[in-house]
Amino acid sequence: MRLENVWLRYHRRGPWVLQGIDVRIGPGEVAIVLGRNGVGKSTLLQVAAGVLRPGRGRVTDRPARVGWVPERFPADQPFTVTRYLTGMARVAGLGRAAADEAVTFWTHRLGLSAFRSVRLPELSKGTAQKVGLAQALLRPPGLLVLDEPWEGLDAATRELVPELIAEVLAADGSVLVSDHRGETVRLPAARRWLVADGSLSEETSSTDETIAVVEVAVPAARVAGTVARLRAEGHQVLRVRPDASTAASQVLPVEPPRSTGAARPAEPPLGMAGELTAEQPEAADAAVESAAGEAR
Amino acid sequence: MSALVRMRLAGFLRTGRALAPLLAGLITLGTLYGGGRAQPAEAYGVSAVVLFPVLAWQTKILLDVEPDVQRRLAQVTVGVARERSAGLLAAAVAALVTVAVALLFPWLVGGVSGPVDPGDRSIPVGLALGLWAHLLVVPAAVALGALASRASVGGAGYGVAVLALGGVGAVVFGLTGSVAPWLAPPIMAAARTTAGDAAALTLLALSGWALAWSAAVVGGYLWRRRAQG
Repeated sequence: MRLENVWLRYHRRGPWVLQGIDVRIGPGEVAIVLGRNGVGKSTLLQVAAGVLRPGRGRVTDRPARVGWVPERFPADQPFTVTRYLTGMARVAGLGRAAADEAVTFWTHRLGLSAFRSVRLPELSKGTAQKVGLAQALLRPPGLLVLDEPWEGLDAATRELVPELIAEVLAADGSVLVSDHRGETVRLPAARRWLVADGSLSEETSSTDETIAVVEVAVPAARVAGTVARLRAEGHQVLRVRPDASTAASQVLPVEPPRSTGAARPAEPPLGMAGELTAEQPEAADAAVESAAGEAR
Repeated sequence: MSALVRMRLAGFLRTGRALAPLLAGLITLGTLYGGGRAQPAEAYGVSAVVLFPVLAWQTKILLDVEPDVQRRLAQVTVGVARERSAGLLAAAVAALVTVAVALLFPWLVGGVSGPVDPGDRSIPVGLALGLWAHLLVVPAAVALGALASRASVGGAGYGVAVLALGGVGAVVFGLTGSVAPWLAPPIMAAARTTAGDAAALTLLALSGWALAWSAAVVGGYLWRRRAQG
């Protein structure tokens, strides 16, 4: 599938959200769409899925069967889980028996069996999100578009998402996924598309490029903001862990050693530590400086 | 596409929002037939006129019941053309059910009478003309309701304005001597025809007019949907 010079704005005189996007994704490929809030990640995904029509440009070679998992599942509908999924399976073209079989399979696999007779408005956010995931997979999609698929999911289902993606890829499907929780670390082979100022650039990494792991300590209250900013800058946050000792937490161990500005003994106690990788030493320095600035 | 039609009709019925236009229709028909008995063709002609805004409102409600994201999910699943068609078809099916109720209603409350004078139409002819008048209204009302739907106009206020203008305009522009009768569907002209001389050519012309008006409004709806994304 290819997006050829795609421009999109929501109103005739509004600003262009996407400007001249030109990108291609082939069978068996997965791409992660990254970027700050409001830059147009969801818009790009919706153009790819066929929800939004580009104002200029076009989308070519979109697979016939597209599965789209919206950021928020529309749970305000007067159906039970079974009735909704059966209806969507029939809408997707499955016969009655095949629809029942697909619904049974996916409700079981996603841990929805106990909720089959529950009405959609009564579901928790995470369970509703599972229904959203199930409806996209009732028929094997040639293109699976996941908008923040990990949002609200329990740990078991979060682990399942990469498995589902791998199955789509194994069947020569393509997958587009956006994420701001850092869960895409589970997709190491994914291409990384960075959306900023309406345009898209692809982060490239060569096999001979050295990867450094930098540990950063920040006050617990500022973890979310720091992680979000580091990710928005293109760094891969591997994990966030509570700091075991206050004394140790006052030191920010940094690799490589040239990032000296991070250790500040006079600063207030730091509560959380995390690791991030950076593909370039300069980028790592900038990221650590950024985190240290947050800690001040 | 039929699965999507069924799903949308089920959503419309299960929310209970189908009751409001149905009750409005019954109250209107009750008022209409409460004043005395009339011959079928004449009564049905007026019934079709008063049902026009009710059916348009019913269509708007049916299309608005579905959350926006669910409508987009349906579009991704079946494509743009089928998603649009399924909505219009579901609204048409609902409208036909209401029309069936409207056709039965006067017989249940004794609102119609058989031929009195020698020149009066027989009951079967009156029924056929009444059916024609109501079927004439269905595509026009569905088109107006779709144009007034949230997916087309965005805000609720605009939708109500479109419905009100369409309903009032159909009557005002349909009056005898109107300066621009083609701006409205021919529901008033159809009512006059059922009450007067219903020549085959007139019925054919009015049917074509109604279909052309509906097609133009549906075109506006599709254009708005395209613009809304």
